[in-house]
Amino acid sequence: MQKSEAHLSRRPIPLSFILMAVLLVHLPLLVMKLPLKSYDTNQHIFFASHYLQHWFDPWNTKWYAGFSQTTYPPLPQQWIAVLSHITGLEYGYMAVQLVAILLLAVGVYRFSLLWVSPRAASFAALASVFLGSESFLVYSAGQLGTTSAAPIYLNALPFLFEWIRFGRWRAFIKASVLFAAAAAAHHATLIFGSFFFALPVVALAIMEREEGDESERSSTAALIARTVAIVVVVTAAIVVVLLPFWIALIHYPVTQEPIPHASRANYILSPFWGLNYFIVPYGAVILAFPFIFWRGAAVHRLRPLLVGFWLAFLVGLGGTTPVSQLVLRRAGEVITMERFSYWATLLALPFIGVLVTELIDRFKTPAIATICTLAALTCGLAVAWSTIHPPDAQEFDTKPVADWLDRDGHDHYRYITLGFGNKIARLAMQTDAGSVDGEWNSARQLPELTAHGAGTLTSSKFFGKNGIDALRAMLEHADHYGLKWVFVRDHYYDPLLAFAGWRPVDNLNDHTIIVWSKDGVPPATPLNAPQIPPHWQGLLWGLLPFGCSILAILVLLIPERRPLESRIAFPSPAEEEYVPGRLAS
Amino acid sequence: MSNGGRLLAIALAGATVALVVIGTLWPNKAAAAFSSGEQFSTSAGTPEAAVRSLGEQIRANAYQRAYDSLANKGEFSEQQFHRDLTSGWPDLRTYATLSDFQVQPLHASDSEADVRLKMQWSTVVGPSPSSRDLHLVNNGGRWQVQWPITKEPVVPPQVIPVNYLRWDVINRSSADDWGAQDVEGPHVRIVDMHPVQRAEGLVLLGELLNEDVIPAYVSVTATLLSKDQKPIDTEGSFDNISHQLLPKQVTPFLIRFPNVTLSQVGSVRMQPFSQLISASADPVIEIQNEKLNPAPDASVTGQLTNQSGQIANVAHVLGTFYDQQGQVVWVGDQYVDHALLPGVPVAFNIHIPEDLARKVSSQRTVVATYSFGGAQ
Repeated sequence: MQKSEAHLSRRPIPLSFILMAVLLVHLPLLVMKLPLKSYDTNQHIFFASHYLQHWFDPWNTKWYAGFSQTTYPPLPQQWIAVLSHITGLEYGYMAVQLVAILLLAVGVYRFSLLWVSPRAASFAALASVFLGSESFLVYSAGQLGTTSAAPIYLNALPFLFEWIRFGRWRAFIKASVLFAAAAAAHHATLIFGSFFFALPVVALAIMEREEGDESERSSTAALIARTVAIVVVVTAAIVVVLLPFWIALIHYPVTQEPIPHASRANYILSPFWGLNYFIVPYGAVILAFPFIFWRGAAVHRLRPLLVGFWLAFLVGLGGTTPVSQLVLRRAGEVITMERFSYWATLLALPFIGVLVTELIDRFKTPAIATICTLAALTCGLAVAWSTIHPPDAQEFDTKPVADWLDRDGHDHYRYITLGFGNKIARLAMQTDAGSVDGEWNSARQLPELTAHGAGTLTSSKFFGKNGIDALRAMLEHADHYGLKWVFVRDHYYDPLLAFAGWRPVDNLNDHTIIVWSKDGVPPATPLNAPQIPPHWQGLLWGLLPFGCSILAILVLLIPERRPLESRIAFPSPAEEEYVPGRLAS
Repeated sequence: MSNGGRLLAIALAGATVALVVIGTLWPNKAAAAFSSGEQFSTSAGTPEAAVRSLGEQIRANAYQRAYDSLANKGEFSEQQFHRDLTSGWPDLRTYATLSDFQVQPLHASDSEADVRLKMQWSTVVGPSPSSRDLHLVNNGGRWQVQWPITKEPVVPPQVIPVNYLRWDVINRSSADDWGAQDVEGPHVRIVDMHPVQRAEGLVLLGELLNEDVIPAYVSVTATLLSKDQKPIDTEGSFDNISHQLLPKQVTPFLIRFPNVTLSQVGSVRMQPFSQLISASADPVIEIQNEKLNPAPDASVTGQLTNQSGQIANVAHVLGTFYDQQGQVVWVGDQYVDHALLPGVPVAFNIHIPEDLARKVSSQRTVVATYSFGGAQ
């Protein structure tokens, strides 16, 4: 009887239990719409609202006097648009985010199976539910693209391994389609994920080419050939699926002045940003660092994973080390670093799974209590961080501004806001009027905005001289863009507007928002920009990325002959070399 | 664990620590920009290093650390030091950030030194330079700054009689948009216009007169036309003009066309714009001790004195410079970064480009002001 109980306690946690844990932790937070406070959530919903109305026309005239949404992979936003027919846009966002978190748990389990035992993999998957970096990206950063692409990518990696290691065509098809779907969700995840996630998997397949039955062994040449084959096919698939994106990127590369971002700070010299971008995302994972390095180095087959983790970890440290600047160069001035920490924590999860397994096996209940406490604290801190340090602390209603713009022909002119934070995406959804400001910096082409190294005009003062220079440049060219209205919620800007010839003409929200106007401005005319995608690109953009995700769902329905655990799992040297109890020795 | 594994773990951990140390001791530009100033060496081994450290602390808004490092901190409070740098009254400096600074040694001995700290503040209307000559003393091998505190002027209690002109405009209804007045705009006229080729492009200078008996909001837009009458570029005067003109007032204007040369231009189409507005002559700003200083460092200097009872938080001084024939040769401006308190003179200094200074024989100065709370 005792033996039976012991056997039961050493079984993997059922995936259904892990998915229930996801629902238990994240569903209430998403029902409460907690991500709406984050940096980017409203931007994703804004993109989705455009797809809702113009599925086949990615040219959005509400920001930057017009910009192309082909500059950002569309999959999560398109799914929001589809779901919004039932749920509305906000709950559509929450639903897509929830699915992404559910997929992450599955993806972590499947990815971890490549490296560790099924039991450790199940602990890794359970740990993903409480991962600080996941909660940080979901509730504070609002990075839907990253948090939805990574799970798809993780789910694709075991198929990649199966294809390279065993040459199974079914795995080849599934891996290819999933990789393409992941790219349709977020391009950067695929580009950088290839180095941090895929290369270790390829290395593992090569390292273990001699393992298993005679029929399962492959030559190095065969493995390399399969790797090349899938790289070629996936690259071609991604090129086709995101063709308008690549065309936009090649014709209009991001050459604007770099915009400062705190994730590039040195986290020791800037302790607050260290807390924000290191302590909060990593949480209790920090305590596992010695184990990760020690075990990752000790176990031969874990070394590729360790190297992947280490590199992602170093880049994720931003300006704390010179690595991000050396490795990413120009790209490091465009993309932000918190996603690398996210990937690093995902790569750390298999190690965490092993650590949890060994601690529980050795210390039983005390270990369980300690681990549960640490997990709860990690997740709790990351979730609470969006309230402790809210990205957008300003709570005010933008509807009166939208109503004002939409009446009496005010929307014949363009507008900007000052002091609205990331409410500008919400306002853009509510009004028909166009703005010359916006939050998706990589898509902007107006020289007044790209030349100064500042972010949104509405937050100009936070970018110092660069921000004010950009604002001045835009106000100077108000006539060019039909910019007639400035909605001011921060009186810091009043002197500039007054001396530049703008005058207050109205007020909204009990005098908390002042409407400034400039007379003699001609009505806005559509920008005849070369960036406007032709109709065929709009058609591709509306069909292929979304179609790719549908195809991914369909191919995943193709049944496998054996469960994943038996297809890819090997006796782990970790378990051979490190019996429970040696951990503390 | 095998030796190879042990070596790998130690190598990776060691490399991580080494990279963190490198990144911290020599932070890259992006990382340094976010730092709170703690990392910067508090080394005060030389007078320049001590002033540089002080500048870094001010730039990082670490006023307490900056104050603690001063030799004469017993003479004033940290709050007074803070207000000395950022103003006691709301003005441009209140919300400014120090974007850059330079240290220039003036004199040094073993025990004392003088160093000039040139600061470039970033304000909402643009950069605002200022300079402080700092005296340093050597305290046991450590140089400390003696901060030359400028005490805030104290305005005595007084009654200022107000007797100024004021024009009110009654619109059709409160729901009418601003600008929909159905009345003829005030009569304004460009009395002078003169293109000047500068290194950064073409500049149009001129003056605009309000000929009417009512106040006007004015602006000027210019379109450059090529020799075949095709438009090259259109720009406005932006803040290089006084937008509010009382009856019979004249304002200079300056319009910049970057990257355009005079040889490209066939003609210029000027579009003055005027609009009837409510206005008042208050606050009255008197310009005193005005002086035209010749090259080098040609400038016009003087003092602004607020003769009204209300505080003018921001003042913008526009100088028009004429040659002997009375033609406009340059228009310069300066934002005064300190509030104009009633009766308290504040200095201004408008720079004149070196190459134009020789041509200047006379000048005229106008002042526009802004008071916080003036907006609706």
